[in-house]
Amino acid sequence: MSQIGVDAVFQAMFLLTDMRELFRQNAPFHDFEGEDKEKAEKIIEGLKKQIAILEKEVL
Amino acid sequence: MPNIGKMEAREIEELFINVSPTQAGGRLTPEAQKAVLSYSDGYSVCDNCVRPFRLDYIKKPALADFHVEVAEWLNMGIARVVPGARRGFQAIANSLVEKGDPVILSSLAHYTEYVSIEQAGGIPCEIPKNEKNHITAENTAAKIEEVIAKYKKTPPLMYIDHVDYQFGNLHDIEGIAKAAHKYDVPVLLNGAYTVGTMPIDGKKLGVDFIVGSGHKSMAAPAPSGIVAVTDEYADKIFNTTKVSGDVTGRKFGIKEIQIIGCSLMGATMAGLVASFPAVKKRVENWDTEVKHSQIVTDALTDIDGTVILSDNPRQHTLTRVNTKDSFDKVAETHKKKGYYFSAALRKRGICGIIPGTTRIWKYNVYGLTDRQTNYLAESFKAVAEENGLPVSN
Repeated sequence: MSQIGVDAVFQAMFLLTDMRELFRQNAPFHDFEGEDKEKAEKIIEGLKKQIAILEKEVL
Repeated sequence: MPNIGKMEAREIEELFINVSPTQAGGRLTPEAQKAVLSYSDGYSVCDNCVRPFRLDYIKKPALADFHVEVAEWLNMGIARVVPGARRGFQAIANSLVEKGDPVILSSLAHYTEYVSIEQAGGIPCEIPKNEKNHITAENTAAKIEEVIAKYKKTPPLMYIDHVDYQFGNLHDIEGIAKAAHKYDVPVLLNGAYTVGTMPIDGKKLGVDFIVGSGHKSMAAPAPSGIVAVTDEYADKIFNTTKVSGDVTGRKFGIKEIQIIGCSLMGATMAGLVASFPAVKKRVENWDTEVKHSQIVTDALTDIDGTVILSDNPRQHTLTRVNTKDSFDKVAETHKKKGYYFSAALRKRGICGIIPGTTRIWKYNVYGLTDRQTNYLAESFKAVAEENGLPVSN
């Protein structure tokens, strides 16, 4: 059982959901600036971490 | 666009400003999106269901708390979840209406109210709207008297729409409920367009039942909704099963008849619960939503020939507009006919108005940001100007 791997899947999906929400709040412009750009950077950073966990756990 | 088998992924809310009259208040919060991802399997909220085996007793996830909190939030006695507002109407009508009973409802009522009366064997009796498209206390009292005189019995139930789906007008519920109660007629508030978007106090309104829609106004997946009743009616509406099998002798514990035991056992329930904290918060921002509604309405009235058919100043985000003498005039000679309008809006990243419609239509601006609201308002004016319609301001 890989609790860490499964947790990483959910964390990644939740981060992608936050990104989805950013697109929604910025539709139809999608010109992320200021606070939204910072949020997007944070989300992408978090996603990279979760992918790294998955690589370690699964591959 | 990514596909799920033969089905395209739905990206409307991410790519467009969606002003569909029915979809605005049901857009999920990110919390609900996450809950739906996590609780996507069938009976997903039932992992920890223990005796007495009923949805409103489940502690993990916190469904029991949710039921209590919803009732408190609406200032009612007890609440249950149902698969959509229509199932709430059904639960109440089936409890109170006998075959041949006259049942009062607004002439602006949604069809599901009529059908729920029909299913219970009742006869729908409409309160006429006045010249301003409002249901008044005076017309309510007159209708009840007329019905009592005709059927020689008091109607067992009255439905009234808090905000009607046709005009998005806010009706005088306190006055209407008082009028109904003078004749001992219990009042069901249809809050499909208000529970979850604007503040509601059931006791202040003086209603006996409140029905809300999860997918219309509580940022939850369909089909979901809530039904809340006063303590006085709790036992009558939520009475429990008494039957037993004649061969097996089986009995069914404390399952509630009108709910048919449990109602929302998976993603719908999870979404409703996950959105609830944000929903409680967002109703406090109702004034901002109404301001947004006014900005768009004002922009439309700047276009010569456009008439707002809803109350103006606006009191709600759902608005009905007549553009027969503006956008429809263009449609008469445009090569795309009436489709030019939705196409022009779509090009600007706006959707939700039925393609081809240029005469009488509705839009709902609920949940838009300031920037999206202003952009929408300016876009209507820009489409008008591009097509040679006079625009003031």
